[in-house]
Amino acid sequence: MAREECKALLDALNRTTARHHQLALTVGGSADSRALRRELRRTRREAQELAAAARARLTAPLRDRGLGGEERAELERLWAAFSGCLDLLEADMRRALALGSAFPLQAPRRPLVRTGVAGGPGGPGGSARSLRRLAERDGDGDGDADGDDLRELEREVLQLSDMIHDMEMKVNVPRWTVQARQTAGAELLSAASSAGPASVQERSGPCDPSKALAAAVFSAVLLAAVALAVCVAKLS
Amino acid sequence: MAGGRAGAQLPHLSKMERVVVSMQDPDQGVKMRSQRLLITVIPHTVAGGDIAEWLIQKYCLSEEEALHLGTLLVQHGYLYPLRDPRSLVLRPDDTPYRFQTPYFWTSTLGPATELDYAIYLAKKNIRKQGALVGHEKEHYDQLHRKMNHAWDLVVVQAREQLRAAKQRRKGDRLVIACQERTYWLVNRPPPGIPSVLEQGPERSSCAAAGRAQLVRTPPADPLLPNVPLTAPCAPTPRPLLSPLASPTCCPGCKPRARSSTGRRWSAAGRRWPGPGSSPPSASRRECAGGPSPDPPSGASPPPCPGPALAPGTPPPRYLNFSSQRGPHDPFLSGCLPSNPWVTDDDTYWTVNAPSVAVPTKLRVERWGFSFQELLGDPVGRAHFLAFLGTEFSAENLSFWEACEELRYGGQAQVPALVDSVYQQFLAPGAARWVNVDSRTMESTLAGLRRPHRYVLDDAQLHIYMLMKKDSYPRFLKSAAYRDLLAVAVVPAEARRRAFPFLRKPPHPSPSPTLLPASTSAEPVTAASDPACGDRGT
Repeated sequence: MAREECKALLDALNRTTARHHQLALTVGGSADSRALRRELRRTRREAQELAAAARARLTAPLRDRGLGGEERAELERLWAAFSGCLDLLEADMRRALALGSAFPLQAPRRPLVRTGVAGGPGGPGGSARSLRRLAERDGDGDGDADGDDLRELEREVLQLSDMIHDMEMKVNVPRWTVQARQTAGAELLSAASSAGPASVQERSGPCDPSKALAAAVFSAVLLAAVALAVCVAKLS
Repeated sequence: MAGGRAGAQLPHLSKMERVVVSMQDPDQGVKMRSQRLLITVIPHTVAGGDIAEWLIQKYCLSEEEALHLGTLLVQHGYLYPLRDPRSLVLRPDDTPYRFQTPYFWTSTLGPATELDYAIYLAKKNIRKQGALVGHEKEHYDQLHRKMNHAWDLVVVQAREQLRAAKQRRKGDRLVIACQERTYWLVNRPPPGIPSVLEQGPERSSCAAAGRAQLVRTPPADPLLPNVPLTAPCAPTPRPLLSPLASPTCCPGCKPRARSSTGRRWSAAGRRWPGPGSSPPSASRRECAGGPSPDPPSGASPPPCPGPALAPGTPPPRYLNFSSQRGPHDPFLSGCLPSNPWVTDDDTYWTVNAPSVAVPTKLRVERWGFSFQELLGDPVGRAHFLAFLGTEFSAENLSFWEACEELRYGGQAQVPALVDSVYQQFLAPGAARWVNVDSRTMESTLAGLRRPHRYVLDDAQLHIYMLMKKDSYPRFLKSAAYRDLLAVAVVPAEARRRAFPFLRKPPHPSPSPTLLPASTSAEPVTAASDPACGDRGT
């Protein structure tokens, strides 16, 4: 159904925006490198494609005045979330542009800020991307890669803001009429299942639940082995 | 949309960033250590003592100054302490600190948006399994009410960002979490800690004039619901100095007087304001008292007013303005010879007419207050032109006048005017060639290919500044000006009549119902007594 498709597209867009945000966090810091910028560019392009697809999907039914009631409310909700996501993406892209031009990699005007973050193959995107990245590194073009990248980014930022403006003009969804479905504690409900064991911990906690679990299992097995040995000794 | 608005780029931030960047130099920067946490080792830690030492060495400061500078860096979020994240001070011992990533620098992001804060709180909610406490819980509820329409996005983004973060290495995850936490500690400080990113009403686009009014209004009601998200003009307008504010400076405050006068200079230079320096204007009062976008925390002390200014007193700029202009104000110091509205004697107006042969003494004194005053007065401008003629730089003023005409003239005359100005003043062998520096000249000539009314702005500004800095002070010291002062007339005060009713009756102004003299006596009776008007007809 169209709505499911839209939702899927929107989820994918949100995921890509979040990944882009994570990458943009490290621009200018110690994890900044050509690979990071390339990854940023790839994520950005992906996000833009998803955005264009989602926009095409959502605009048509919303402009159709025949649609009414529940369907329309649902689509408006999706639309509000979609344009909010695009705003976040645009803001992140602008910041990445500002930071990228302030901390150029090719002819570094100033040293990168040593923030303690070391990027690398463990970065967001997982191992599959890192393999691809290694393969690409051989074909790293020289010349003014920085300048080209920034000019492209600037163009994309302008394109995105044009798209947002266009969206606002074509479809009229006043924000105050949209009622979000999620309530105040909604992120806890499904997050409780997924975010449990691998949640980011505060520095003060010395013990790790996974490590504690492993230690408990190990000691149980050890005790069982000791009990068995004692029994064997007793019996023999 | 986040990202710097013009008013949010404060100059002290870029200076601090330069300091931080110079600390990163691999040879001459600060010594870095590593932090060891059980198994993970995170590099790029600095000790507070090392930072203080580096600052002392690099900038030749005393220890106290270095500590103060370091504390400022920590308070603005460029450095953060690792052990006790809430206490934002630089301790000159082994306390470990780390640098903040440039993404979270205040100048990159601009003022923090509500949406970002909502996402951060949602993430924290997930991490803490719903156990947000204190002011964060309040903020969360408030944001949920305010931003209900975007709550879907907030929840989804929070989850996705946590998921994206999980794919990093453990050390990186910890560092990024600390960075984010520091950023929000600086931008949404817990109650009781003054926010260093306070801009105060005088920093915003609304003039400082409103500030004198704000002193008396009481602080905003903390129980006010539904405060709108963005204020109409000021980026972060704050409730106001309460009468109980302590006059001592809080450590994070910066001297405001200097930058505000700096801004006034630039406003005067760029925008040719109305007569004189910026007078307090009533229209700006309503802007600066706008509602605060942050949830008002009643317990936080109000922002520091600057170097030891007692609450309720106007800033020194206003005192200077008032004392300088007091004698010139007709309400405060009376007008000579007499107030025409009272005595019906319009000598005052004839003596102060725009073009009069001999100006009054007060008027000539006013030319000494500011260059804008001099240029605004036709008599003053004429005398200044004569003076420039003796100095062989009269073409400057003529050029300036021609540019003004271009700016404010009709659209149809623009090309012709631009052409004539070019021929007269800017062409290489022109009769009255003005001396503009090469860069401005190049950009002007480039712009002349497509003339519009603002092409000559740069050149006009350059010449204006030249006149203001160079010729104007010389004019004030010149013999011509002193002669003018000596010759200026001081009209004598009109003799006060002892009995006001003995004054000759004021001229009856022609009644609007009076028809011209060709029609006869009827209108006179009609004017005098409407009740018996029918008698006349």
